[in-house]
Order: sequence, then structure tokens, then C-alpha cells
Amino acid sequence: MTLGDTIYKWIDERFKLRELLQPIIKHPAPENVISNPLYCLGGTAFLCFLILVITGIFLAMYYKPTPLEAYKSVEHIMTEVPMGSLIRSLHHWAANTMIAAVMLHMIRIYFMGAYKKPRELNWVVGIFLLLTTTTFGFSGYLLPWDQLAFWATKIGTGIAGSIPVVGGYISLILLGGNDIGAETLTRFFAIHVMILPIAIAVLLGLHFLMVRIQGISGRL
Amino acid sequence: MAIAENKKYGEEEKKTEPVRVRGLPFFPHFVLREVVVMCIVAGFLLILASVYPASLLKPADPFDTPSPIYPEWYFLYVFGFLKFWIYDVGPIPAKIIGVTLPMVLWYGLLILVPFIDRNPSTDIRTRKVAVTLGIIALLGVLYFTY
Repeated sequence: MTLGDTIYKWIDERFKLRELLQPIIKHPAPENVISNPLYCLGGTAFLCFLILVITGIFLAMYYKPTPLEAYKSVEHIMTEVPMGSLIRSLHHWAANTMIAAVMLHMIRIYFMGAYKKPRELNWVVGIFLLLTTTTFGFSGYLLPWDQLAFWATKIGTGIAGSIPVVGGYISLILLGGNDIGAETLTRFFAIHVMILPIAIAVLLGLHFLMVRIQGISGRL
Repeated sequence: MAIAENKKYGEEEKKTEPVRVRGLPFFPHFVLREVVVMCIVAGFLLILASVYPASLLKPADPFDTPSPIYPEWYFLYVFGFLKFWIYDVGPIPAKIIGVTLPMVLWYGLLILVPFIDRNPSTDIRTRKVAVTLGIIALLGVLYFTY
């Protein structure tokens, strides 16, 4: 018996691993879902999410969310930290690819009619995932604190602020004051690394759970 | 607890299996496909990140407005629509419509899609209205993005 078998048996005796894993392993997936590359888009978005989590944790080790330090710390990541430039560029490209993949995934679901009964609620969760993903992008855009980040956020929050009724509150909550400043940067940082990750983890959990319960709509 | 759940699953599978299209087990078939795609995407991202590193412009200066300010590409359609819509409707100013329509109404409409489209068919040939509306929406977003 190899070491792997011994460890597996030890855990299996205590936690009934076999009974837990068997239904997952044997769960049938429709054949055309496996052969058609259009069904990869959701998985691609999820891979990008995982890459974003890992590279994001590394970036958070060096990033400093204050107006005086933010730009310098990103510059430090890009020029001095070993592999820093690669990690930040990966974060950048994975973010853009994730949004593209999420959108294409949604377009595929729409044209294949995969949102129909009984999957209505999973579509709704999906729209909230799209919203969360784009909000991730919006909040992350400000963090390098360069000219483009600052002015694009100024216009973006201005647009959000002119939505009737709720706009004023949204703008106040986002900016933490009347204009972009130190408060805004720490808020965007907190939103980007604390609030949104929790939100997306919950939504992804629901999304996958529903797919697991209802199965993939395997129709071409 | 776990045993009870598994038994329930077993029963469900028996009931639904004959209706299903041909199915292959999740592991290894489905997982293998997923891993292959993930490797390709990860490699693609590594190449992109090495060839085109993320940019960093001059530090933010609240007193110096740069000339072309552009948002991320996935918000361009909001900008495009805001520029396009210059018509006041009654007492509502054009700017409010230009902001509300692509953000609030668009997402509201997206959320309601499964409740508006009650046609149970998933066959593309019997969903002409939904497909046409989908293509129009897609072209519209692309147009305003551009």
C-alpha cells in the first residue's frame, strides 16, 4: 500500500470520504457540454477570479492606500519588488479577461435560453455577479492613484451621483465627502479588498450550488 | 446527515437519467476538459501580462485635468449613451435620462429577462422575438461603446 492510499484510508475511516466524493465524481455532465467550447466561458471567468485572488493578496502586501503613498507603492511594486510587475500585470489582464468572460457567458446563456424555468434565480444571481465584477473593476481603477485613475473616478462617481433620488447618497457613500481624497481612496480600497470579495464569494457559492442542484442546461 | 443527502441524490439521478442527453461522469471527463481550458487561459494571460505590462501614468494631480479621460472599456457604453442622448423629455433633463437609462433601467431589464420571456422553448428557431431583441440589445451596447 502506498503512502497516498494509507492517508486516504485513514481519512476515509473517519470521515466516510468515499460516500461524500462518489456522487460528485459520478454526477453526469451532458456530453455536448463537454465537447462544445462555448461552455468554457464560466470556468474561464472562475479561473480569472482565482488568479485575481492570489495576485491581489500579493499586491495588498505592498500597496498603501493613502494619497501620498499609493502611487509610490505601485511604482515600487512595478520597479523594485521581485516579479512585482508580472503580478500586477497579471492582475490587470485577469481582471479584463474576467469581465469579458462574464459578459460572453451571459450572452451564451441568453441565446441558448438557459435562464428558463427552473433556472430563473440563477440568472438573477448571475446579473448580480456581473454587477459585482464591474464594481470590482471600477473600485480597482482608482487604487494606483495616477492621473487616469483619479479623473476617470471623478467622472464615474459624478455619473453615479446624478442618478435620481439615490445618486446623492451613492456619491456620498463612495467619496466619503464632497470630493475625491484620502477618504475616497481608503473607502475604495475597503470596498475592493473586503466588501466585494465577501459578496462575490457568497454569490459564486449560490451560483455553483444552483448549477449543481439543477444541472447544466445541456441544450444546443 | 451526509448519507441521507447522498441517498436523495441517488434517487433523483435515477429519475432524471432517462430524460437526459448522453451524460459522461463529472470526473474525469468534465474536470479534464476544464483543466485543459484553464491551462490555455492561464498561459494566454501570462503571455499578455509579460508582453503588455499594466500601465502607470503620472501621479494624480487634482489641479491638472488630462485631455482624453476614458473609463474602463466596459463602462464606455454609459459614456457613449450620455453623449448621444441630448433630448429633454418633459420636465426630466437629458442628463438624468442619459445616466439612468444605461445603468438603472438596463440592469433592471437584465434581471427581469427570465420573467419577461415566458416562452419555455430553448430552441433558437422558436424564440425569434427573444433572439431578435437580444441581437438589437447587443448591437446597441456595441454602438454606444464605440
